[in-house]
Amino acid sequence: MRFADFSVTAVYGVSYPVYLFFVVLSVLFFFPLARPSSAADDNYLDVLLKSAREKRLYEDRYWDILVHYKHHGSGMKSLIDDPKFFLAPDGKRNPAAELEATIRSFFREERNGEEHPRCRFVARYAWLKEKLDIDELRLPPVDCTEFDEALKKVNPHSAALVFPTTLNNSPGSMFGHTLIRIDSEKQSDLLSYAVTYAAAATDTNGFLYAFKGIFGYYPGYFSILPYYEKVAEYSNIEYRDIWEYHLNLTEEEVRRLVMHVWELRDIYADYYFFDENCSFDLLFLLEVARPSLHLTDAFWDNKVRFWVIPIDTIRVIKESGLITGEKYRPSQATRILAIASHMESGNEDVALDVVDKKTSPQAVVEMQLAREEKMMILDLSAELLQYKYSRKQLEKEEYLKQYLPVLSARSSLGKQDADAYSITPPIPPEQGHLPGRLSFGGGYRTDSFFTEIGWRAAYHDLLDPDEGFTEGAQINFFDISGRYYFKEDRAQLQRLRLIDIVSLSPRDAFFKPVSWKVNTGFDRELFSDGDEHLIYRLNPGGGFSYKSGFLGLSYIMIETDLELSGGLQDNYSLGFGASAGIIKRLSDSWKIDLSAKSVYYVAGDEHRSIKTSLVQNFKITTNNSIAFSLSWEKTFDRYQSEGNLSWNIYF
Amino acid sequence: MKKLFAVAVLSIMVVFVVSSAFAASATGTARSNVGCGLGTMLFQNNADQSSLLQAFQATTNGTVGSQTFGVTSGTSECKQPTKFVSNERLNEFVVANMDNLAKDIARGNGETLEAFADLMQVPAEQRPEFYQKLQVSFAKIFTSESVVLANVVDNVADVSSTK
Repeated sequence: MRFADFSVTAVYGVSYPVYLFFVVLSVLFFFPLARPSSAADDNYLDVLLKSAREKRLYEDRYWDILVHYKHHGSGMKSLIDDPKFFLAPDGKRNPAAELEATIRSFFREERNGEEHPRCRFVARYAWLKEKLDIDELRLPPVDCTEFDEALKKVNPHSAALVFPTTLNNSPGSMFGHTLIRIDSEKQSDLLSYAVTYAAAATDTNGFLYAFKGIFGYYPGYFSILPYYEKVAEYSNIEYRDIWEYHLNLTEEEVRRLVMHVWELRDIYADYYFFDENCSFDLLFLLEVARPSLHLTDAFWDNKVRFWVIPIDTIRVIKESGLITGEKYRPSQATRILAIASHMESGNEDVALDVVDKKTSPQAVVEMQLAREEKMMILDLSAELLQYKYSRKQLEKEEYLKQYLPVLSARSSLGKQDADAYSITPPIPPEQGHLPGRLSFGGGYRTDSFFTEIGWRAAYHDLLDPDEGFTEGAQINFFDISGRYYFKEDRAQLQRLRLIDIVSLSPRDAFFKPVSWKVNTGFDRELFSDGDEHLIYRLNPGGGFSYKSGFLGLSYIMIETDLELSGGLQDNYSLGFGASAGIIKRLSDSWKIDLSAKSVYYVAGDEHRSIKTSLVQNFKITTNNSIAFSLSWEKTFDRYQSEGNLSWNIYF
Repeated sequence: MKKLFAVAVLSIMVVFVVSSAFAASATGTARSNVGCGLGTMLFQNNADQSSLLQAFQATTNGTVGSQTFGVTSGTSECKQPTKFVSNERLNEFVVANMDNLAKDIARGNGETLEAFADLMQVPAEQRPEFYQKLQVSFAKIFTSESVVLANVVDNVADVSSTK
């Protein structure tokens, strides 16, 4: 039995408008036929409609949740955009009409189980049946076999919220995202199902992708898949650690959640990267499960921001009292590093030799080493082979020829302690600092004191406290600051960074990632007149970074820098240069960043610039820190130095 | 001014090349190597080399399967085991997780092995013995690189029934 038959051909290409046309046509066509045939049924329909009106069910909060209605101007509007989801022609904006059309639809004379509204909209039916005390015997008979089988297969008992973190070595995955795991009575979480909301995006052009993703040009769909497939995707392919938060939903509540997912299958809502995204839409599912929760309100009705960050939804869910505990699931990359960290130094090279076929697995078994060490070597070899294969660095035949002998040799060594590769879970992401940042401070620049105020929309800076975040991953979105210079009695925009990303992914014996950066926005720069002027900048770069106990995280990058300003000769300067730095945690609450950068501007207003800085950040509480920076620069043969002290509040 | 325009275009191209060089495929992961044996796993090119562009891709979640209620993937294209009561759930799991299952059997423990025992309905108190039996018989279960679903499940059935 396959459930694949509800194919979403509609997602792809040209068939989509045609498909919709037929859906609309068929609804119009069948609607008159579906009317109840006998007078008795007519009466019963009227009884139910009357009762629903008297109880004002169309104003019931649960009805709003089920149809995803939100206040819109003076009326209501559903966030679902798929016409298939509505039984009334104006159902998207008219809760009362949609409710009546839904009740009418229960009387349709169609035995075709899948598409009968009672089978299609199982959660609506279950709720109305309870509220109106519907006598099913007075409705036309219908079999919802497909739904019954699907429900039996998923077998919902409890649920967990799942958060794959940002990529271990890249902020490319940005804010991470969330899914809901539906657990059955089976012990292993791998045998659960995962519900996700995702955009059906088929473009391969990144810019197009970003544009469409931001402005709602992709349809978003809910889907439910075996959890082991999601684990494979995040753990073994993308190397993202996963946090799993157990939810205290009851069996009945989880069942309602699954019923609603069933209703939403093949139904789209326009996907918006910033707000109507994967994490926001999952909140509806939790409200359907437990209507006393008000989770979407925090991000929609009472919103203070126009974006929804997955971690913020975790915080809201946690505050609502749903979360009873968390579990850390390390990715394959984390496991590889963990195994290596337990080995005696030098033995990881033996594992690399096995992978490179310089040593045979059997030779490892025969080595004069402790049995535990030999196990670790072969376990590491197996993980590395899987890694290389998933990266397509090995062909399938080649991989299998190596993988099986490694495992075969490993099996001869017996059992390892279950906790031999224990990994201490890091601080969970929702316990890190909040994404917004407000800073107050002041300092001295060359010959004048100034005071400065700054605001950052999101999300994490290299110098911000690392707890809950990926070390070396910076994403600053909309970072603005203004200064007032006392001596000149002058207020000025100091900086407006639209985006500022730095990804420092350390290279080691096993992984060879590239580090990169890109930032764009307005900045102040020193010009040949010795004054600082506002410029617009685009500054990408790429390089390598390494991690060591002594230096911390160190990096070196090649950069280009484009500056645009009316004050520059030819209105621009284009330069090439290099930067290097170290970021080290001197204690749990004290972090320093020492960096230097030199750029030769070879086109436009030609000049040279050298900058060095030392920034320190002292964490006071999770959401408070003090930053102190010292910098010196030489640009256009003009020197400038600055000291700046500021207080950061995360919100 | 013309020069400025040319330089601006050039820099944007530089960024674009830099970004796209780091960008992963926009289509996200897909089970691109479906089979009934070992080496059936998810692939993604250069997932760790990302960019601003991939950032957007990642938060849209990027993937969509051919089905939205995919509680069954089906193993009808695979030869079915004969020595164990037909269990589609078990078959799907083994097909999708064979490499990890082999690794766990070789180690004698692991989450995939536990899920497998769950699906084989091995009682909790018998599991340590079950795991050990499978470990010592690794070569009898994974007889070659071309071993498929039916072989693995039947071999496990053989191995675990021997005293």
